[in-house]
Amino acid sequence: MIRLDNVTKVYKGDVPALREANVNIDKGEFVFLVGASGSGKSTFIRLLNREEVPTEGQIWVAGKDVSSLSSSKVPFLRRNLGCVFQDYKLLTNKTVTENVAFALEVIGRPKSVIRSQVPAILELVGLADKARSFPHELSGGEQQRVSIARAFVNRPLILLADEPTGNLDPATSVGIMRLLERINKTGTTVVMATHDRSIVDKMRRRVIELERGSIIRDQARGVYE
Amino acid sequence: MALRLDYTVRETAKNVQRNVVITVASVLCVSVSLALVGFALMARQGVERATGYWQGDIQFIVWMNVESTSDQIEGISRSLDENRGVEDLTFFDQEAAYEEFLDLFADTPEMAETVTAADLPPSFRVVPVDKSPEAVAELVSQYQGQPGVMRVSTATEAIEAIQAISNFLTSVGLAVAVILLVVAVLIILTTIQLAIYTRRREIEVMRLVGASNSFIRIPFMLEGLLQGLVGAVLAIGALAIFKPFFEDSLPAEELPLFSELTFSSVEMFGTYLFLTSVGILVGTVAAAIAVSYFLDT
Repeated sequence: MIRLDNVTKVYKGDVPALREANVNIDKGEFVFLVGASGSGKSTFIRLLNREEVPTEGQIWVAGKDVSSLSSSKVPFLRRNLGCVFQDYKLLTNKTVTENVAFALEVIGRPKSVIRSQVPAILELVGLADKARSFPHELSGGEQQRVSIARAFVNRPLILLADEPTGNLDPATSVGIMRLLERINKTGTTVVMATHDRSIVDKMRRRVIELERGSIIRDQARGVYE
Repeated sequence: MALRLDYTVRETAKNVQRNVVITVASVLCVSVSLALVGFALMARQGVERATGYWQGDIQFIVWMNVESTSDQIEGISRSLDENRGVEDLTFFDQEAAYEEFLDLFADTPEMAETVTAADLPPSFRVVPVDKSPEAVAELVSQYQGQPGVMRVSTATEAIEAIQAISNFLTSVGLAVAVILLVVAVLIILTTIQLAIYTRRREIEVMRLVGASNSFIRIPFMLEGLLQGLVGAVLAIGALAIFKPFFEDSLPAEELPLFSELTFSSVEMFGTYLFLTSVGILVGTVAAAIAVSYFLDT
């Protein structure tokens, strides 16, 4: 599902953010990316959804060579990728329903699909009763659920999560992790960057550890350290 | 991907609504500059028409009587030919005069219908060697009153002055208009930049979930196009309203031959079409610059 061949990413004139990374992630895997701030986790994620292009090497995502993808094809890649971030990136002037519907609307899905999919996904993330609330009326955990609903409503093959629990307290984080696990059980590949030790240790999933841009550990059923 | 019309229209309307003040500014700037272009074109057309006989260096015209005999015409022709004060000579027979008449009044066919070739006087268009008013007056006096000659008319200084003023004003008007159009492009560009900035979070999310580039761009492109178009429509409205005053203000009595200046609807239609195209072009170019600078990063 995801393959990195000798991938190096150097930002302008800087030290490499990622160097000679070789990773293979199968369909349906749940992978944690761990490491200190600046170790290259976010760069890893940004390379996968083609917000960045690698300086060297090749990246394959969902059967496409992302490194040589023309910019007009990038939107179609992203329709197969759901993205979740630490800061939720919700639109404050739209309700929960509208935020989720927006993701379908802007890729041209018909209204009938939107009308049936949005309530279903809100049910899945446990926010059916908050459908008409605005983001500022929700707790952090609820906002992140909306964000996950938006990322998953198009049933992507892969879900990328960059520090999704970074702004949440431990109890709320557990709820979010359960949700991601459920999504993973539907066959969706999940790649999550985090430095939340307790979550990684509890889940015992594959762990890829980065340090100053290099992969120093790739361990099935791993722990944070 | 099928673009959703309702979405595009809604988003464009929202953008305009959010930045009403600067949108009004850019629309007005487009309309003022296009109105200026329109007036300059209209003035030029009017003056060109009114002074149409006086192209090139022709300084005077010997108009023959409609009933003048071919001998009389022959005589004047030979005399002008042999005259050492004459540099160049063109003879317009009645057919040629009719052709020219049709040309000058191409847009008022009702005028052409009332006239036939036989109604029009043949004429000699004369370019003298010495173009000073005194020398021209001297030549004119030689042919005034000759048998078969109806009258001799000269390119008076008034016409030259009008042409000079008209050329000057047209150039100045067009130059100012071009500067204003550049200003309009900059204002529209800023408006769209503002709209993009206002909606940056939405755009970020759109990118994230895989909205196509054209889907993201089109509302902004449409906004620019609309500003240019509305500006053009306002300019055309202003031109249509002020046209009668403009016609009245021309010094008709100074133009000796055909003092009638009309800007018929056909003629104006071309100008209006031109202004509309320029308006749309200005708006779209500005939007394209804004979009490529601030959106495709």
